[in-house]
Amino acid sequence: MSGGSLFDIVGPIMVGPSSSHTAGAVRLANLARLVADQPIQEVEFVLYNSFAQTYQGHGTDRGLIAGILGYGVNDERIRDAFALAEAQGLHYTITPFLGANNYSPNTVVFNMRLQNGQMLTVVGHSIGGGKVYVSKIDGHNVNIRGEMPTLILFYKDQPGMIWQVTKILAEQQINIATLTCNRNQRGVEAFMIITLDSMPPAKAVAAIQGIPDIHTARCIDQLPA
Amino acid sequence: MPNFNSFQELLTYCQEHQCGVAEAALRYEEAYSGKQRAEILAGMEAILQQMRDTVTSGIHSTEKSMSGLTGGDARRIMDFMNQPQCFLSPVEMKMIAFGLATLEENSRMKRIVACPTAGGSGSVPAALIAVEQDKNVPPQQTLKGLITAGIIGEITARRMFLSGSAAGCQAEVGVASGMAAGGLVEMMGGTPEQVVHAAAISMQNLMGLVCDPVAGLVEVPCVVRNGLSGVQAAASATMALAGVKSFIPMDQVVEAMAAVGKLMHPSLKETAEGGLAQTPVAKAFTETFKGQQQAP
Repeated sequence: MSGGSLFDIVGPIMVGPSSSHTAGAVRLANLARLVADQPIQEVEFVLYNSFAQTYQGHGTDRGLIAGILGYGVNDERIRDAFALAEAQGLHYTITPFLGANNYSPNTVVFNMRLQNGQMLTVVGHSIGGGKVYVSKIDGHNVNIRGEMPTLILFYKDQPGMIWQVTKILAEQQINIATLTCNRNQRGVEAFMIITLDSMPPAKAVAAIQGIPDIHTARCIDQLPA
Repeated sequence: MPNFNSFQELLTYCQEHQCGVAEAALRYEEAYSGKQRAEILAGMEAILQQMRDTVTSGIHSTEKSMSGLTGGDARRIMDFMNQPQCFLSPVEMKMIAFGLATLEENSRMKRIVACPTAGGSGSVPAALIAVEQDKNVPPQQTLKGLITAGIIGEITARRMFLSGSAAGCQAEVGVASGMAAGGLVEMMGGTPEQVVHAAAISMQNLMGLVCDPVAGLVEVPCVVRNGLSGVQAAASATMALAGVKSFIPMDQVVEAMAAVGKLMHPSLKETAEGGLAQTPVAKAFTETFKGQQQAP
Protein backbone atom coordinates (compact mmCIF):
# COMPACT_ATOMS: atom_id res chain seq x y z
CA MET A 1 0.00 0.00 0.00
CA SER A 2 1.51 3.29 -1.04
CA GLY A 3 1.04 6.71 0.50
CA GLY A 4 -1.96 8.92 0.11
CA SER A 5 -3.37 12.26 1.09
CA LEU A 6 -4.14 13.24 4.68
CA PHE A 7 -7.60 14.08 3.32
CA ASP A 8 -8.13 10.40 2.46
CA ILE A 9 -7.73 9.59 6.16
CA VAL A 10 -9.39 12.68 7.67
CA GLY A 11 -12.37 12.89 5.37
CA PRO A 12 -14.44 12.93 3.33
CA ILE A 13 -17.19 15.02 4.86
CA MET A 14 -20.08 12.69 4.12
CA VAL A 15 -23.57 11.60 5.08
CA GLY A 16 -23.55 8.40 7.15
CA PRO A 17 -23.62 5.64 8.00
CA SER A 18 -20.89 3.89 5.97
CA SER A 19 -18.06 5.15 3.78
CA SER A 20 -18.14 2.10 1.51
CA HIS A 21 -21.90 1.46 1.55
CA THR A 22 -23.25 5.03 1.57
CA ALA A 23 -20.56 7.45 0.33
CA GLY A 24 -19.25 4.77 -2.07
CA ALA A 25 -22.76 4.24 -3.47
CA VAL A 26 -23.23 7.98 -4.04
CA ARG A 27 -19.87 8.34 -5.79
CA LEU A 28 -20.41 5.26 -7.93
CA ALA A 29 -23.76 6.59 -9.11
CA ASN A 30 -22.15 10.02 -9.68
CA LEU A 31 -19.62 8.26 -11.91
CA ALA A 32 -22.30 6.28 -13.78
CA ARG A 33 -24.14 9.57 -14.35
CA LEU A 34 -21.00 11.16 -15.80
CA VAL A 35 -20.43 8.16 -18.07
CA ALA A 36 -24.04 8.39 -19.30
CA ASP A 37 -23.41 12.03 -20.22
CA GLN A 38 -27.09 12.85 -20.61
CA PRO A 39 -30.22 12.77 -18.44
CA ILE A 40 -31.14 9.34 -17.10
CA GLN A 41 -34.84 8.57 -17.24
CA GLU A 42 -34.92 5.12 -15.76
CA VAL A 43 -32.40 3.01 -13.91
CA GLU A 44 -32.28 -0.49 -12.52
CA PHE A 45 -29.68 -0.99 -9.80
CA VAL A 46 -28.66 -4.64 -9.55
CA LEU A 47 -26.83 -5.12 -6.25
CA TYR A 48 -24.32 -7.88 -5.56
CA ASN A 49 -22.80 -9.51 -2.47
CA SER A 50 -22.53 -7.23 0.56
CA PHE A 51 -24.51 -4.49 -1.20
CA ALA A 52 -27.31 -6.99 -1.86
CA GLN A 53 -27.33 -8.15 1.77
CA THR A 54 -27.21 -4.84 3.63
CA TYR A 55 -28.27 -2.08 1.27
CA GLN A 56 -31.32 -0.92 3.23
CA GLY A 57 -29.70 -0.52 6.62
CA HIS A 58 -26.72 1.32 5.16
CA GLY A 59 -28.69 3.67 2.95
CA THR A 60 -27.01 2.24 -0.15
CA ASP A 61 -30.31 2.47 -2.03
CA ARG A 62 -30.78 6.14 -1.09
CA GLY A 63 -27.13 6.84 -1.92
CA LEU A 64 -27.40 5.31 -5.40
CA ILE A 65 -30.53 7.28 -6.24
CA ALA A 66 -29.05 10.52 -4.86
CA GLY A 67 -25.89 9.91 -6.89
CA ILE A 68 -27.89 9.46 -10.10
CA LEU A 69 -29.67 12.73 -9.29
CA GLY A 70 -26.24 14.37 -9.03
CA TYR A 71 -25.98 14.96 -5.28
CA GLY A 72 -22.57 14.67 -3.60
CA VAL A 73 -21.55 12.52 -0.62
CA ASN A 74 -22.08 15.33 1.90
CA ASP A 75 -25.58 16.28 0.77
CA GLU A 76 -28.17 15.74 3.52
CA ARG A 77 -30.85 15.33 0.86
CA ILE A 78 -29.54 11.75 0.44
CA ARG A 79 -31.95 10.80 3.25
CA ASP A 80 -34.86 11.99 1.13
CA ALA A 81 -33.69 10.38 -2.10
CA PHE A 82 -36.83 8.29 -2.70
CA ALA A 83 -39.10 11.34 -2.59
CA LEU A 84 -36.66 13.42 -4.65
CA ALA A 85 -36.52 10.75 -7.37
CA GLU A 86 -40.28 10.82 -7.61
CA ALA A 87 -40.36 14.63 -7.71
CA GLN A 88 -37.77 14.67 -10.49
CA GLY A 89 -39.37 11.91 -12.53
CA LEU A 90 -36.53 9.39 -12.16
CA HIS A 91 -37.87 5.86 -12.35
CA TYR A 92 -35.79 3.27 -10.53
CA THR A 93 -35.87 -0.33 -9.42
CA ILE A 94 -33.56 -2.02 -6.95
CA THR A 95 -32.78 -5.67 -7.56
CA PRO A 96 -30.66 -7.47 -4.99
CA PHE A 97 -28.89 -10.45 -6.60
CA LEU A 98 -28.27 -13.04 -3.90
CA GLY A 99 -26.70 -15.87 -5.95
CA ALA A 100 -23.04 -16.75 -6.42
CA ASN A 101 -21.04 -14.45 -8.69
CA ASN A 102 -17.51 -13.28 -9.38
CA TYR A 103 -18.03 -9.61 -8.56
CA SER A 104 -16.18 -7.81 -5.77
CA PRO A 105 -18.01 -7.41 -2.41
CA ASN A 106 -19.78 -4.11 -3.17
CA THR A 107 -20.85 -4.16 -6.80
CA VAL A 108 -23.70 -2.44 -8.65
CA VAL A 109 -24.78 -2.95 -12.24
CA PHE A 110 -26.55 0.17 -13.54
CA ASN A 111 -29.00 -0.58 -16.36
CA MET A 112 -29.94 2.88 -17.56
CA ARG A 113 -32.40 4.22 -20.10
CA LEU A 114 -31.25 7.63 -21.27
CA GLN A 115 -33.20 10.60 -22.52
CA ASN A 116 -32.32 9.81 -26.15
CA GLY A 117 -33.84 6.36 -25.70
CA GLN A 118 -30.53 4.51 -25.65
CA MET A 119 -29.79 1.83 -23.07
CA LEU A 120 -26.47 1.95 -21.21
CA THR A 121 -25.06 -0.62 -18.81
CA VAL A 122 -22.30 0.34 -16.39
CA VAL A 123 -20.73 -2.02 -13.85
CA GLY A 124 -19.19 -0.33 -10.80
CA HIS A 125 -17.54 -1.24 -7.53
CA SER A 126 -17.16 0.48 -4.17
CA ILE A 127 -13.81 -0.48 -2.71
CA GLY A 128 -13.77 1.26 0.67
CA GLY A 129 -13.37 4.74 2.09
CA GLY A 130 -15.63 6.16 -0.63
CA LYS A 131 -13.27 5.02 -3.39
CA VAL A 132 -14.92 3.52 -6.46
CA TYR A 133 -14.26 2.37 -10.02
CA VAL A 134 -16.21 1.44 -13.12
CA SER A 135 -15.10 -1.85 -14.67
CA LYS A 136 -17.47 -2.23 -17.64
CA ILE A 137 -19.37 0.00 -20.02
CA ASP A 138 -21.82 -1.88 -22.23
CA GLY A 139 -19.78 -5.05 -21.85
CA HIS A 140 -16.39 -3.46 -22.58
CA ASN A 141 -13.77 -3.87 -19.87
CA VAL A 142 -12.58 -0.47 -18.67
CA ASN A 143 -11.07 0.95 -15.49
CA ILE A 144 -12.41 4.40 -14.67
CA ARG A 145 -11.86 5.71 -11.15
CA GLY A 146 -13.16 9.27 -11.36
CA GLU A 147 -10.00 10.62 -9.73
CA MET A 148 -8.84 12.55 -12.81
CA PRO A 149 -10.50 13.94 -15.95
CA THR A 150 -11.00 10.96 -18.24
CA LEU A 151 -11.52 10.71 -21.98
CA ILE A 152 -13.59 7.70 -23.06
CA LEU A 153 -13.40 6.75 -26.74
CA PHE A 154 -14.97 3.96 -28.77
CA TYR A 155 -13.88 3.69 -32.39
CA LYS A 156 -13.17 1.42 -35.37
CA ASP A 157 -10.00 -0.54 -34.75
CA GLN A 158 -7.44 0.72 -37.28
CA PRO A 159 -3.93 2.22 -37.42
CA GLY A 160 -3.26 5.79 -36.35
CA MET A 161 -6.14 6.37 -33.95
CA ILE A 162 -3.96 6.95 -30.87
CA TRP A 163 -1.79 9.35 -32.86
CA GLN A 164 -4.76 11.39 -34.07
CA VAL A 165 -6.21 11.71 -30.56
CA THR A 166 -2.97 12.44 -28.71
CA LYS A 167 -1.98 15.01 -31.36
CA ILE A 168 -5.09 17.06 -30.54
CA LEU A 169 -4.37 16.80 -26.81
CA ALA A 170 -0.73 17.81 -27.36
CA GLU A 171 -1.79 20.88 -29.36
CA GLN A 172 -3.90 21.97 -26.39
CA GLN A 173 -1.01 21.36 -23.97
CA ILE A 174 -3.10 18.73 -22.13
CA ASN A 175 -0.86 16.26 -20.33
CA ILE A 176 -1.78 12.56 -20.42
CA ALA A 177 -1.43 10.68 -17.12
CA THR A 178 -2.39 7.19 -18.34
CA LEU A 179 -3.61 5.69 -21.61
CA THR A 180 -5.26 2.28 -21.96
CA CYS A 181 -6.39 0.72 -25.22
CA ASN A 182 -8.16 -2.50 -25.90
CA ARG A 183 -10.37 -3.99 -28.57
CA ASN A 184 -13.18 -6.44 -28.79
CA GLN A 185 -12.40 -7.67 -32.27
CA ARG A 186 -9.49 -6.90 -34.57
CA GLY A 187 -10.46 -4.32 -37.17
CA VAL A 188 -13.94 -3.86 -35.71
CA GLU A 189 -14.29 -2.05 -32.38
CA ALA A 190 -11.70 -0.73 -29.98
CA PHE A 191 -11.74 1.64 -27.06
CA MET A 192 -9.32 4.03 -25.44
CA ILE A 193 -9.44 5.40 -21.88
CA ILE A 194 -7.15 8.37 -21.30
CA THR A 195 -6.71 10.07 -17.93
CA LEU A 196 -5.62 13.68 -18.11
CA ASP A 197 -4.06 16.20 -15.74
CA SER A 198 -6.74 18.74 -16.67
CA MET A 199 -10.05 18.93 -18.52
CA PRO A 200 -9.53 19.66 -22.23
CA PRO A 201 -11.42 22.61 -23.73
CA ALA A 202 -14.73 21.75 -25.42
CA LYS A 203 -13.25 22.47 -28.87
CA ALA A 204 -10.61 19.76 -28.32
CA VAL A 205 -13.28 17.23 -27.40
CA ALA A 206 -15.27 18.32 -30.45
CA ALA A 207 -12.17 17.89 -32.63
CA ILE A 208 -11.69 14.36 -31.27
CA GLN A 209 -15.36 13.60 -31.90
CA GLY A 210 -14.77 14.76 -35.45
CA ILE A 211 -12.06 12.19 -36.17
CA PRO A 212 -13.44 9.73 -38.75
CA ASP A 213 -14.55 6.36 -37.32
CA ILE A 214 -14.80 7.54 -33.71
CA HIS A 215 -18.24 6.34 -32.58
CA THR A 216 -18.21 7.73 -29.07
CA ALA A 217 -16.00 10.39 -27.51
CA ARG A 218 -16.81 11.92 -24.18
CA CYS A 219 -14.69 13.51 -21.53
CA ILE A 220 -15.78 13.25 -17.90
CA ASP A 221 -14.42 15.41 -15.11
CA GLN A 222 -13.08 13.99 -11.87
CA LEU A 223 -15.57 13.40 -9.07
CA PRO A 224 -15.66 16.12 -6.42
CA ALA A 225 -13.70 15.30 -3.24
CA MET B 1 10.36 15.24 -0.16
CA PRO B 2 9.22 13.86 3.17
CA ASN B 3 7.61 10.49 2.57
CA PHE B 4 7.01 8.59 5.78
CA ASN B 5 6.99 4.85 5.31
CA SER B 6 7.28 4.29 9.04
CA PHE B 7 6.80 6.13 12.30
CA GLN B 8 10.56 5.88 12.82
CA GLU B 9 11.06 7.86 9.59
CA LEU B 10 8.61 10.45 10.85
CA LEU B 11 10.47 10.80 14.15
CA THR B 12 13.85 11.00 12.42
CA TYR B 13 12.53 13.71 10.12
CA CYS B 14 11.16 15.73 13.05
CA GLN B 15 14.49 15.47 14.83
CA GLU B 16 16.63 16.35 11.80
CA HIS B 17 14.43 19.30 10.86
CA GLN B 18 13.67 20.38 14.42
CA CYS B 19 9.94 20.43 13.78
CA GLY B 20 6.77 18.98 15.28
CA VAL B 21 4.64 16.19 13.81
CA ALA B 22 1.98 18.57 12.44
CA GLU B 23 4.64 20.57 10.57
CA ALA B 24 6.14 17.38 9.13
CA ALA B 25 2.65 16.23 8.10
CA LEU B 26 1.96 19.53 6.35
CA ARG B 27 5.22 19.31 4.40
CA TYR B 28 4.28 15.74 3.44
CA GLU B 29 0.86 16.84 2.19
CA GLU B 30 2.32 19.79 0.25
CA ALA B 31 4.71 17.46 -1.53
CA TYR B 32 2.13 14.71 -2.07
CA SER B 33 -0.70 16.87 -3.37
CA GLY B 34 1.19 19.80 -4.89
CA LYS B 35 -1.24 22.10 -3.07
CA GLN B 36 -0.28 25.34 -1.36
CA ARG B 37 -0.16 25.30 2.43
CA ALA B 38 -2.99 27.81 2.73
CA GLU B 39 -5.28 25.51 0.73
CA ILE B 40 -4.40 22.50 2.87
CA LEU B 41 -5.00 24.44 6.07
CA ALA B 42 -8.32 25.75 4.77
CA GLY B 43 -9.40 22.20 3.88
CA MET B 44 -8.45 20.89 7.32
CA GLU B 45 -10.19 23.84 8.99
CA ALA B 46 -13.38 23.04 7.04
CA ILE B 47 -13.17 19.44 8.25
CA LEU B 48 -12.62 20.52 11.84
CA GLN B 49 -15.60 22.87 11.61
CA GLN B 50 -17.77 20.03 10.27
CA MET B 51 -16.67 17.91 13.24
CA ARG B 52 -17.71 20.71 15.63
CA ASP B 53 -21.05 21.11 13.82
CA THR B 54 -21.75 17.35 13.93
CA VAL B 55 -20.96 17.23 17.64
CA THR B 56 -23.20 20.22 18.35
CA SER B 57 -26.17 18.90 16.41
CA GLY B 58 -25.63 15.40 17.81
CA ILE B 59 -25.71 16.40 21.48
CA HIS B 60 -28.92 18.35 20.97
CA SER B 61 -30.78 15.71 18.98
CA THR B 62 -32.93 13.01 20.52
CA GLU B 63 -34.05 11.69 17.14
CA LYS B 64 -33.72 7.94 16.60
CA SER B 65 -31.61 6.42 13.84
CA MET B 66 -33.13 5.25 10.55
CA SER B 67 -33.52 1.73 12.01
CA GLY B 68 -34.70 2.92 15.43
CA LEU B 69 -31.85 1.01 17.10
CA THR B 70 -29.90 3.97 18.52
CA GLY B 71 -30.18 7.70 19.17
CA GLY B 72 -30.51 9.98 22.18
CA ASP B 73 -27.64 8.68 24.31
CA ALA B 74 -25.36 11.66 23.61
CA ARG B 75 -28.08 13.90 25.03
CA ARG B 76 -28.38 11.60 28.09
CA ILE B 77 -24.64 11.93 28.82
CA MET B 78 -24.75 15.73 28.50
CA ASP B 79 -27.75 15.88 30.84
CA PHE B 80 -26.03 13.64 33.39
CA MET B 81 -22.90 15.78 33.58
CA ASN B 82 -24.18 17.94 36.43
CA GLN B 83 -25.82 15.15 38.41
CA PRO B 84 -24.35 14.36 41.85
CA GLN B 85 -23.79 10.68 40.87
CA CYS B 86 -21.51 11.67 37.97
CA PHE B 87 -17.98 10.73 38.94
CA LEU B 88 -16.22 11.59 35.67
CA SER B 89 -14.87 15.06 34.99
CA PRO B 90 -16.75 17.37 32.59
CA VAL B 91 -14.08 16.95 29.89
CA GLU B 92 -14.36 13.15 30.08
CA MET B 93 -18.14 13.38 29.96
CA LYS B 94 -17.88 15.57 26.87
CA MET B 95 -15.56 13.06 25.23
CA ILE B 96 -18.15 10.33 25.72
CA ALA B 97 -21.01 12.58 24.61
CA PHE B 98 -19.18 13.89 21.51
CA GLY B 99 -18.20 10.39 20.38
CA LEU B 100 -21.78 9.19 20.80
CA ALA B 101 -23.11 12.35 19.14
CA THR B 102 -21.00 11.83 16.03
CA LEU B 103 -22.00 8.19 15.57
CA GLU B 104 -25.65 8.93 16.30
CA GLU B 105 -25.62 11.60 13.60
CA ASN B 106 -23.96 9.05 11.31
CA SER B 107 -26.81 6.59 11.95
CA ARG B 108 -29.35 9.33 11.22
CA MET B 109 -27.73 9.85 7.79
CA LYS B 110 -26.57 13.30 8.81
CA ARG B 111 -23.25 14.87 7.86
CA ILE B 112 -20.10 13.52 9.54
CA VAL B 113 -16.37 13.32 8.75
CA ALA B 114 -15.05 9.82 8.02
CA CYS B 115 -11.96 9.65 10.27
CA PRO B 116 -10.50 7.26 9.27
CA THR B 117 -13.88 5.66 8.43
CA ALA B 118 -17.52 6.46 9.13
CA GLY B 119 -17.72 3.62 11.68
CA GLY B 120 -14.77 5.07 13.62
CA SER B 121 -15.62 8.72 13.05
CA GLY B 122 -16.26 9.61 16.71
CA SER B 123 -12.85 9.31 18.41
CA VAL B 124 -10.93 12.20 16.90
CA PRO B 125 -13.65 14.85 17.22
CA ALA B 126 -14.57 13.59 20.71
CA ALA B 127 -11.03 13.93 22.03
CA LEU B 128 -9.95 17.09 20.20
CA ILE B 129 -13.11 19.16 20.54
CA ALA B 130 -13.74 18.24 24.19
CA VAL B 131 -10.20 19.33 25.10
CA GLU B 132 -10.43 22.44 22.93
CA GLN B 133 -13.53 23.49 24.85
CA ASP B 134 -12.36 22.45 28.30
CA LYS B 135 -8.86 23.91 28.12
CA ASN B 136 -9.70 26.92 25.94
CA VAL B 137 -7.11 25.75 23.44
CA PRO B 138 -6.64 28.15 20.49
CA PRO B 139 -8.26 26.69 17.34
CA GLN B 140 -4.85 26.66 15.58
CA GLN B 141 -3.67 24.12 18.15
CA THR B 142 -6.73 21.94 17.54
CA LEU B 143 -5.94 22.12 13.82
CA LYS B 144 -2.41 20.89 14.54
CA GLY B 145 -3.95 18.03 16.49
CA LEU B 146 -6.18 17.09 13.56
CA ILE B 147 -3.29 17.20 11.07
CA THR B 148 -1.23 15.02 13.41
CA ALA B 149 -4.11 12.56 13.66
CA GLY B 150 -4.14 12.49 9.85
CA ILE B 151 -0.49 11.56 9.44
CA ILE B 152 -0.79 8.84 12.11
CA GLY B 153 -3.69 7.32 10.16
CA GLU B 154 -1.85 7.75 6.86
CA ILE B 155 1.31 5.94 7.98
CA THR B 156 -0.82 3.18 9.55
CA ALA B 157 -2.82 2.81 6.33
CA ARG B 158 0.37 1.89 4.48
CA ARG B 159 0.55 -1.38 6.46
CA MET B 160 -3.09 -2.35 6.84
CA PHE B 161 -6.53 -1.68 5.40
CA LEU B 162 -8.56 0.61 7.63
CA SER B 163 -11.93 -1.10 7.42
CA GLY B 164 -13.85 -3.43 9.69
CA SER B 165 -14.38 -5.83 6.81
CA ALA B 166 -10.61 -6.11 6.29
CA ALA B 167 -9.25 -6.14 9.84
CA GLY B 168 -12.05 -5.83 12.39
CA CYS B 169 -13.05 -2.85 14.48
CA GLN B 170 -9.44 -2.47 15.66
CA ALA B 171 -8.81 -1.02 12.17
CA GLU B 172 -11.59 1.55 12.63
CA VAL B 173 -12.14 2.53 16.28
CA GLY B 174 -8.69 1.20 17.26
CA VAL B 175 -6.78 3.23 14.69
CA ALA B 176 -9.06 6.22 15.32
CA SER B 177 -8.16 6.15 19.02
CA GLY B 178 -4.45 6.05 18.12
CA MET B 179 -4.93 9.02 15.79
CA ALA B 180 -6.83 10.92 18.48
CA ALA B 181 -4.27 10.13 21.19
CA GLY B 182 -1.36 11.39 19.08
CA GLY B 183 -3.39 14.40 17.98
CA LEU B 184 -4.11 15.35 21.59
CA VAL B 185 -0.44 15.19 22.53
CA GLU B 186 0.47 17.48 19.63
CA MET B 187 -2.36 19.81 20.58
CA MET B 188 -1.04 20.05 24.14
CA GLY B 189 2.51 20.78 22.96
CA GLY B 190 4.04 17.34 23.51
CA THR B 191 7.14 16.11 21.67
CA PRO B 192 7.02 14.00 18.49
CA GLU B 193 8.15 10.99 20.57
CA GLN B 194 5.25 11.53 22.96
CA VAL B 195 2.83 11.80 20.01
CA VAL B 196 3.92 8.42 18.70
CA HIS B 197 3.98 6.76 22.15
CA ALA B 198 0.43 7.96 22.80
CA ALA B 199 -0.75 6.47 19.51
CA ALA B 200 1.03 3.19 20.26
CA ILE B 201 -0.41 2.94 23.78
CA SER B 202 -3.93 3.57 22.55
CA MET B 203 -3.79 1.24 19.58
CA GLN B 204 -2.33 -1.69 21.48
CA ASN B 205 -5.18 -1.51 23.97
CA LEU B 206 -7.80 -1.94 21.23
CA MET B 207 -5.87 -4.57 19.31
CA GLY B 208 -8.05 -7.56 18.46
CA LEU B 209 -11.26 -5.57 18.63
CA VAL B 210 -13.79 -7.42 16.47
CA CYS B 211 -16.27 -5.84 14.08
CA ASP B 212 -19.66 -7.34 15.00
CA PRO B 213 -22.44 -4.94 14.00
CA VAL B 214 -25.94 -6.03 15.04
CA ALA B 215 -28.07 -6.63 11.91
CA GLY B 216 -25.10 -5.33 9.89
CA LEU B 217 -25.89 -1.74 10.89
CA VAL B 218 -23.23 0.78 11.95
CA GLU B 219 -25.01 1.27 15.30
CA VAL B 220 -24.57 -1.44 17.96
CA PRO B 221 -21.88 -1.65 19.30
CA CYS B 222 -20.34 1.07 17.08
CA VAL B 223 -22.02 4.03 18.81
CA VAL B 224 -20.91 3.18 22.35
CA ARG B 225 -17.45 2.14 21.20
CA ASN B 226 -16.99 5.57 19.67
CA GLY B 227 -18.20 7.12 22.93
CA LEU B 228 -15.51 5.23 24.83
CA SER B 229 -12.65 5.55 22.37
CA GLY B 230 -12.25 9.31 22.82
CA VAL B 231 -11.74 8.80 26.55
CA GLN B 232 -9.28 5.99 25.89
CA ALA B 233 -7.37 8.27 23.50
CA ALA B 234 -7.26 11.00 26.13
CA ALA B 235 -6.03 8.56 28.78
CA SER B 236 -3.30 7.36 26.40
CA ALA B 237 -2.30 10.94 25.58
CA THR B 238 -2.11 11.78 29.28
CA MET B 239 0.11 8.76 29.91
CA ALA B 240 2.46 9.79 27.10
CA LEU B 241 2.57 13.44 28.23
CA ALA B 242 3.43 12.20 31.74
CA GLY B 243 6.43 10.38 30.30
CA VAL B 244 5.05 6.85 29.90
CA LYS B 245 6.57 5.14 26.87
CA SER B 246 5.16 2.28 24.85
CA PHE B 247 7.60 -0.64 25.25
CA ILE B 248 6.56 -1.88 21.80
CA PRO B 249 7.51 0.70 19.14
CA MET B 250 4.55 2.09 17.17
CA ASP B 251 5.75 0.53 13.89
CA GLN B 252 5.68 -2.89 15.51
CA VAL B 253 2.27 -2.21 17.07
CA VAL B 254 0.92 -1.52 13.58
CA GLU B 255 2.57 -4.66 12.17
CA ALA B 256 1.06 -6.69 15.00
CA MET B 257 -2.37 -5.18 14.44
CA ALA B 258 -2.21 -5.96 10.73
CA ALA B 259 -1.22 -9.55 11.57
CA VAL B 260 -4.08 -9.89 14.07
CA GLY B 261 -6.45 -8.61 11.40
CA LYS B 262 -5.32 -11.39 9.06
CA LEU B 263 -5.74 -14.03 11.78
CA MET B 264 -9.21 -12.84 12.69
CA HIS B 265 -12.00 -15.16 11.58
CA PRO B 266 -14.26 -13.72 8.82
CA SER B 267 -17.24 -13.97 11.17
CA LEU B 268 -15.61 -11.22 13.27
CA LYS B 269 -15.07 -8.82 10.37
CA GLU B 270 -18.25 -6.85 9.66
CA THR B 271 -20.23 -9.86 8.45
CA ALA B 272 -22.58 -9.82 11.47
CA GLU B 273 -21.96 -13.57 11.75
CA GLY B 274 -20.13 -13.45 15.08
CA GLY B 275 -19.55 -11.55 18.30
CA LEU B 276 -22.32 -9.34 19.62
CA ALA B 277 -24.18 -9.66 16.32
CA GLN B 278 -24.94 -13.32 17.13
CA THR B 279 -26.27 -12.83 20.67
CA PRO B 280 -29.95 -13.82 21.14
CA VAL B 281 -31.13 -10.23 21.46
CA ALA B 282 -29.19 -9.22 18.33
CA LYS B 283 -30.64 -12.11 16.34
CA ALA B 284 -34.16 -11.27 17.50
CA PHE B 285 -33.71 -7.63 16.46
CA THR B 286 -32.31 -8.70 13.09
CA GLU B 287 -35.41 -10.81 12.39
CA THR B 288 -37.75 -7.94 13.26
CA PHE B 289 -35.68 -5.45 11.27
CA LYS B 290 -35.61 -7.64 8.16
CA GLY B 291 -39.37 -8.15 8.44
CA GLN B 292 -39.91 -4.39 8.50
CA GLN B 293 -37.62 -3.85 5.51
CA GLN B 294 -39.58 -6.33 3.41
CA ALA B 295 -42.95 -4.82 4.26
CA PRO B 296 -44.43 -2.74 1.39
